[in-house]
Amino acid sequence: MTAAFALSPRRDCATLSAPVTVGPSGVEERLRQDEVWEVLLARANDGDGAAFARFLHAVTPTLRAVIRRRGDGLPPDQHEDILQEVLLAVHLKRRTWRPDAPVRPWLYALARYKVVDAFRKRGAAVTLPIEDFAEILPGEDAAAPLSARDAEVMLGLIDTRSAMLVRAVALDGKTAGEAGETVGMTAGAARVALHRAMQRLSGLAERMMK
Amino acid sequence: MNDRRRTEDLIGALAAAPLPEPFRPGRTLAAMLCVMLAGLGLYLAIFGIRPDLGAAWAELAVQAKTILPALLSLSAIWLALRSARPEGRVMLWLLALPGAVAGAMVLYRLAGADGLSFAEMAGQTALACLGSIVLLSALPLAAGIVLFRRSAPTRPVVTGALLGLATAAAVASGYALHCTEDSPLFFVAWYGGAICLVGGIGAVAGHRFLRW
Repeated sequence: MTAAFALSPRRDCATLSAPVTVGPSGVEERLRQDEVWEVLLARANDGDGAAFARFLHAVTPTLRAVIRRRGDGLPPDQHEDILQEVLLAVHLKRRTWRPDAPVRPWLYALARYKVVDAFRKRGAAVTLPIEDFAEILPGEDAAAPLSARDAEVMLGLIDTRSAMLVRAVALDGKTAGEAGETVGMTAGAARVALHRAMQRLSGLAERMMK
Repeated sequence: MNDRRRTEDLIGALAAAPLPEPFRPGRTLAAMLCVMLAGLGLYLAIFGIRPDLGAAWAELAVQAKTILPALLSLSAIWLALRSARPEGRVMLWLLALPGAVAGAMVLYRLAGADGLSFAEMAGQTALACLGSIVLLSALPLAAGIVLFRRSAPTRPVVTGALLGLATAAAVASGYALHCTEDSPLFFVAWYGGAICLVGGIGAVAGHRFLRW
């Protein structure tokens, strides 16, 4: 699975293979780019938000290409979702990058973990058409592992705004952007809040199952 | 294109978000060590260090039962820290070195044994040994798992298992100061069993708590 990943996580391989495809100046270019990425991420980790935005913008095309190349089995509209999961992980784990280490191996290893994870989560559900299962799927009223009542109980345990977001997105089928509007958040902020809320909820659900 | 707009929004939100908590290896190890030493200290204060430790230390087997787990613990924690970064390479074969020495000691003892080896392995205090090592490992392992949640292991199960091995091996090398059973057959079987058990618990904990 990991062998299919399009880009080498090791910087030395990446630079060694570069002359074949881009010519000697490609190596120079890539090294310069690496330095820029490292400076940006180092400044971002010192608390410079603008530098972090520039870093994310700079790495997004690369990540997008990786996800597109890996994602034949998935509809393209999911690719952007996966990209957003990777970007969120870059933020949450950005301080595990050490300023004295090159940024590429770190970024690629992190991205590979999240991309593989995202495909594993979606893979089976997305590639199998639902018609094939129509006959063996239980009816609506069969006991679900988590009933609507349980969901309401758990939503009562997190703060109101997060609960509204989750209800809008998970139960009413709105997008994060629409849900964010109803509670006065930008789409991006709503996604972050949703991610946190879902994490808390899955923690609560695990405890309830036991 | 609407999707790309959302990505732009996300980048904006992430740039404005507060810095995440960093993973601090030094503090993490210090915390684990403090919790472990507190438990071990209490244990040795209550149940005592073996009275003949000074005299017994001359024997190779007595030294080995403290030093081998200590070496295993050091290599496991070093590997756990490497595995805590996405790009870290983990040379798991390092763990085989103390294991190989322990295996050699068992074989050497078996070669010189005359029929009593099973009773020698079972010993008198096997359950106390197993229970003490596992119980003394619980809190430091929990502390390690909690603090490692800030790190970014791409193989969370391996990282959890390494944390378990490191903790239990360190506890075993301290427990050896109390334990009076000096046969390699005994301590390789029971210390080893306890260390592997806690390693397994760590692997399960890693699967549950170290994924991100």
